[in-house]
Amino acid sequence: MSIRLSAEQAAFLQGPLSINVGAVGRDGWPCVCRAQGALVARDRRTLTVLLAAERGREVLAALDAGSGIAVVFSHPATHATLQLKAPCATRVAPNSAHHACHARYAAAFGGELGALGYGDELVRGLTALTAAGDLAALRFAPEIVFDQTPGPAAGRVLAAA
Amino acid sequence: MKPTLESLRACLDGAVPAVIATCAADGTPNVAYASQVHYVDAEHVALSYQFFSKTRENVLAHPYAQVQVVEPGSFRHYRLRVQYLRTETGGPLFQYMKAQLAGIAAQSGMGKVFVLRGADIYRVLDIEAVDPRLPPAPPPPDALLRLRRTLDHLGACDELAQLADRALAALTPGFGIRHALLMMLDEAGASLYTLASLGYGHSGIGAEVALGKGIIGVAAHERILVRINHRTGDYAYHAALRTAATNEPRIPLPVLAEPHSQIAVPLMHADRLLGVLYAESEHDAFFSHADEDALAIYGRHLAALVAQLAALPDDAEPLPAAATPAPTGAPLAVRYFPDDHSVFIDNDYLIKGVAGSILWTLLNEHAQSGRRDFCNRELRRDRRLPLPDGGDNLETRLILLQRRLAERCPAIALEKTGRGRFRLVLDRPLALHAML
Repeated sequence: MSIRLSAEQAAFLQGPLSINVGAVGRDGWPCVCRAQGALVARDRRTLTVLLAAERGREVLAALDAGSGIAVVFSHPATHATLQLKAPCATRVAPNSAHHACHARYAAAFGGELGALGYGDELVRGLTALTAAGDLAALRFAPEIVFDQTPGPAAGRVLAAA
Repeated sequence: MKPTLESLRACLDGAVPAVIATCAADGTPNVAYASQVHYVDAEHVALSYQFFSKTRENVLAHPYAQVQVVEPGSFRHYRLRVQYLRTETGGPLFQYMKAQLAGIAAQSGMGKVFVLRGADIYRVLDIEAVDPRLPPAPPPPDALLRLRRTLDHLGACDELAQLADRALAALTPGFGIRHALLMMLDEAGASLYTLASLGYGHSGIGAEVALGKGIIGVAAHERILVRINHRTGDYAYHAALRTAATNEPRIPLPVLAEPHSQIAVPLMHADRLLGVLYAESEHDAFFSHADEDALAIYGRHLAALVAQLAALPDDAEPLPAAATPAPTGAPLAVRYFPDDHSVFIDNDYLIKGVAGSILWTLLNEHAQSGRRDFCNRELRRDRRLPLPDGGDNLETRLILLQRRLAERCPAIALEKTGRGRFRLVLDRPLALHAML
């Protein structure tokens, strides 16, 4: 049973955030990969995260093998952080909306990092992470949302199925 | 070829936050940000433990994790497969991470919530270069060349006062360092005092830092080099440098109000701590890992030179007294407080401790016998002075006293007349008052 994200959460998750996807491989090793963009479905019950397939092959293999998914979203300027978890994720074929989202994200997140003084090299590096034609899209229905903003309240459950 | 952990040290400075993926007992993944991933040695890293988190719960149950770090300047990612080994809650590594965390916390405006509870030690089992096709970050300046240039500027020094000044001045052409302090350990080993400074509005000669306080005190107490590459803002690591017991006379440290990078290098000779070399900058990430290595070597070199100069034999006797006219004018009131050996000139604080006691002894000797010429050897034997056996620090205390007098009371001067010999020169008559 999935939860319905609040409108504020949906807006936050689609912002210029640092996004990292975690899974656990068949061998029991946890693995992580940076994602570049997220799209929340209109009903706010599922979302799709976008990542470079080549860079994320370990995470994708773990999810293909049935691992649960954990995705952490963090706003670099404020450290406001959410973690969403679901028991599984499905790979979907990237469509034009996904490609547009990815391009938008790279520009917005690059701008966010630039404003924080990270420099042009880092912004260029960020946009070079995903080669053309290498985009993977992972759809999942979150069952639990945690507040993970650093501090003693980190880990508080904000919504659960 | 697999990257080595050593080659990833630039990724471990916290410029781009690292993330750690762990696995719960039921197989659920968890991803969290790691405030610090600290390079321990070629096979180990340490992560900061601040709160009892899901990450911690997971690694205690299932010790295998993956840490993703990012190279600043290139955005190349690396993934480290790590195994949790143990948590350290004290000792040099813990203190280093505590000091560094203070810098990270202040940079992120989270000083109040970032308190280190432990240093979690992990063994690094495998490293994956995620972005081998991305160009590497431009290399930092060659630290070995910087060190060599610094040593060239240091040159040969045949006395301690000269060494103290040149040791700091050489850092500017060498490393581009514009603000630095040379601090020496006091006789009791409880605090450090400033012997020389570089690049501040006031010299701060004689300013003290207690062992264990601030980045300088931690470096001395733990005998470790501490490097903080972010602004420390209002956090205690900086504040402790600037505040002391307010009811005691003191000389303020001249440090920058908001340094963005700091490094404190213990001056170790064999197993002895002689002092701390401190440098800071207004720029973030000013000191690279390679600079840290080079400055650690420079610290050892300076400590060896200090020890070598301190061990040179003094001239045997004071020079024979030369007749001089008695000073004229209104007498300066010199007040001495035996409790802490503090000396005030016309109500202005001058100095305390060993240096205060030396000055008081010299002035009394002069008042009673008219003597002006003295030597270190007789001071070492003088039971009125709170010097430990051997009086190793005597020369640095005399330099401190000489510099404080030159800054605050030029009417009283100490002039060097030979190795371990000096002359008391008075431009004004003195009225001595012991405040018993």
